[in-house]
Amino acid sequence: MLTTDKVTIKFGGLTAVNQVSVHIAPRKITSLIGPNGAGKTTFFNCISGVYKPNSGRVIFDGKEIQGKKAYQINHAGISRTYQIINLFRKMNVLENVLVGMHPRLKSNYLSDMLRLPAQRREEVVAFEKAYEWLKFVGLEEHAYDPASSLSYGKQRLLEIVRGLASDPKLILLDEPAAGMNSKEKEELDVLLKRILDLGVTILVIEHDMKLIMGVSDYIYVLCNGALLAQGTPNEVRNNPDVITAYLGGD
Amino acid sequence: MLLNLIIAGLVLGSIYGLIALGYSLIYKASGLMSFVQGDIMTVGAYLGLTFYHILKLPFAVSFVLSIVSAFLIGMLLEKGVIRKLLSKNVMPIYVVLATIAISYIIQNGVMLGWGSITLYYPSVFSVTSVKVWAANVQPEALLCLGTALVCMVLLHFFMTKTKLGTAMRASAMDSMAAESCGINVSVSTGITWGLSAGLAAVGGMLLGPMYGVFPVLGATIGRKGFSGAVIGGYGNMYGSIVGGLLLGLTETLVAGYVSSVYKNLIAYIILLVFLFLKPTGIFNERAIQDV
Amino acid sequence: MDLANKLKDKKFILRIFAAVATLLLPLLLGGGEYTLLLVCIIEVYIIAVSGLDIVFGYCGQISLGHAAFYAIGAYGTAILHNTLGWPILLTMIVSASVSALIGALLAYPASKLVFHFLSLSTIAFGEIVYQFLIHSPNKITGDFNGLSSGRFAIFGYAFKSNAVWYYFGLFCVVVFLTAKYFLVHSKTGRAFTAIRENTHAANGMGINVRKYKVMAFATSAFYTAFAGAMFMHLAGYIHPDTFTQRQSVLFLTMLLFGGSGTLVGPILGVIAVEVLIEALRSFQDYQVFIYGILMLIVIVALPGGLFGGFRDLAIYGKHKMLKKKSGTPA
Repeated sequence: MLTTDKVTIKFGGLTAVNQVSVHIAPRKITSLIGPNGAGKTTFFNCISGVYKPNSGRVIFDGKEIQGKKAYQINHAGISRTYQIINLFRKMNVLENVLVGMHPRLKSNYLSDMLRLPAQRREEVVAFEKAYEWLKFVGLEEHAYDPASSLSYGKQRLLEIVRGLASDPKLILLDEPAAGMNSKEKEELDVLLKRILDLGVTILVIEHDMKLIMGVSDYIYVLCNGALLAQGTPNEVRNNPDVITAYLGGD
Repeated sequence: MLLNLIIAGLVLGSIYGLIALGYSLIYKASGLMSFVQGDIMTVGAYLGLTFYHILKLPFAVSFVLSIVSAFLIGMLLEKGVIRKLLSKNVMPIYVVLATIAISYIIQNGVMLGWGSITLYYPSVFSVTSVKVWAANVQPEALLCLGTALVCMVLLHFFMTKTKLGTAMRASAMDSMAAESCGINVSVSTGITWGLSAGLAAVGGMLLGPMYGVFPVLGATIGRKGFSGAVIGGYGNMYGSIVGGLLLGLTETLVAGYVSSVYKNLIAYIILLVFLFLKPTGIFNERAIQDV
Repeated sequence: MDLANKLKDKKFILRIFAAVATLLLPLLLGGGEYTLLLVCIIEVYIIAVSGLDIVFGYCGQISLGHAAFYAIGAYGTAILHNTLGWPILLTMIVSASVSALIGALLAYPASKLVFHFLSLSTIAFGEIVYQFLIHSPNKITGDFNGLSSGRFAIFGYAFKSNAVWYYFGLFCVVVFLTAKYFLVHSKTGRAFTAIRENTHAANGMGINVRKYKVMAFATSAFYTAFAGAMFMHLAGYIHPDTFTQRQSVLFLTMLLFGGSGTLVGPILGVIAVEVLIEALRSFQDYQVFIYGILMLIVIVALPGGLFGGFRDLAIYGKHKMLKKKSGTPA
């Protein structure tokens, strides 16, 4: 589904991501772990189009997407959430999801301004679909509340479901469990598997070892910008390099 | 003819440079654009006139008093208005609008205080014309060039060689780091605004004797001054000086050789061209691009 | 809700009342030509400021040069009508469309710029247009003499009084505000708001930010230009003094005063500011001073504008009422 080929990203003299090659298998959960500052989010940003790599390629569905703009990559089928919550704060919860659905809506400027019958129908369907998405994560009772009024954990859920609303093939989740309590993390574990059931491939950055070991099909370990190790959870767990470099978590 | 134009261009350019310098200092220190610079220039001109003509103080004394007053106004502005607004976390547009509002208040205030007809400085020099190579130049023009040059040199030394200047630069670059080094960032920022106001007043007192004083004296120059700052690289001190001079020269040469009618147009067209094509300016200052 | 229930709903009655009052306004004002003229100007400003709201209130793009579009509409319609003899309504639509095109051309490179520099580019644009107005090739704009245009007529029907103009203006306001309502409550409108709220995330969610910024600018330019054209035919004569940066700032002040990013905000803001200006007309010398104070009031006391203020008041009122009902001390 997604392959990166020796992707390198440099900021001035600092090499944040160093020749990282990964392969994300479809319909599986792949995790990216590593100490803080290892370059994980920078790597995500490269895949999702925020950065252009200095060298290397990103291949999605057979096509090279490195250097493309973020919205183009979204249209191609990759969606994401953010490390720092990036909701549309003054819009309500439902509207946030509706924005997520943007690439799937067909109406254009003119049909919007004139509110043509086809557009009206599409909006009704869109609202219903957005509401269904909220039900998927249990946020439906907050549909008309401003996004900023949600609790932290619920905001994270909203970001996830906003990302799913565009019916992506692959979703990048950047530390979805950050700031969650253990109950919420258990629910997240279940949610991730339900997302998989929808047919969406997941690439996730996380620090919570219990969660990672519980959901991942495959793990990549990044350290100082370079790939340190990779494998199934068991392989990674027992890898001496990984243990030396990093494993202090659960 | 060409020499006359070049000198006139440099004179105008040095004024633009002083204004642009103020803009860059403020931007570096507070990350804001202030629309008040031009009007402080006007106030400086009027104050200078009051001290020199009405109170009959010597020109040099009037000069210094005017600058000091402007400095205080600038600091007061930063402390009393800008800082308060920033701490209230208002939308950035509101801070910009606040400076525009104050600019309007100053403009009208100046008109109410001194009337709207143009007032003139009594002669500062005893001669009306000085010979520079082949050209006849107003001594006021030379004063302008000289003073502006001195100001910029002094500023350079102040910023690089003195403790306070270095503290100001540090605060502008990274206020948190500066704070942890024991620098009082709040005072630094206030001084920066005061300094910018002082520079504007210098410009006002140099312009006044040449063109007379009227309520919108500074406003137009203030707006065009943005052009000078962008040309050099907004936020870059030296860029602002160079940008201002280039702008002054270009404007005057265009007015002289092409058409004086479109003189004002040039500054704004150059501004747009730079914003769209080279927003980082000549000196490649930090990019100001969004998407 | 069926009709009987509707009639009991206070809000509904209020709305009917407002609608009727609006329709009968000329009669209610009893032949006060000047007051009616004022109302017509308010109609023009409502459209102009609603346009600014689309690009700033909804899309978050600051424009301090909207007077330029106002001018393009006003001068465009006059010049097209005077020199080419086209029917007035056509010239209004054409000049507004040209303005939209220019807005798009300006927005395309400007959309890359961050906040302060975007505002700078709009200021520069405004100044360039102004310079063009006062030094036009072949004096096509009349330069400082201003420009007048013939009797205002639509489809051959000549407008003879302010009352007739009022209904024309009202019709335009309804059309433009309805279009705005449709636009902001749609996929495009949500894209605008998303860009305002979080440009980075908007990109990530598949919104072509540049395209939508251009759309917002172009739409806004159309609105304000059409308003300018309306103004031309209301006043019969225009002068460059109306199209300075001060006018741009006035638009923005009205918008912020009323509450940006809302449908009603521009209406409230225009009415409030116009009434204030009229009330203080005898203080001509202090006019600019008053503008300044007005702006500071908005900034310091009313960041949400009048609309925000009313809404907060309503929430506070509801809160108090709920407390009373539940018996707890207020």
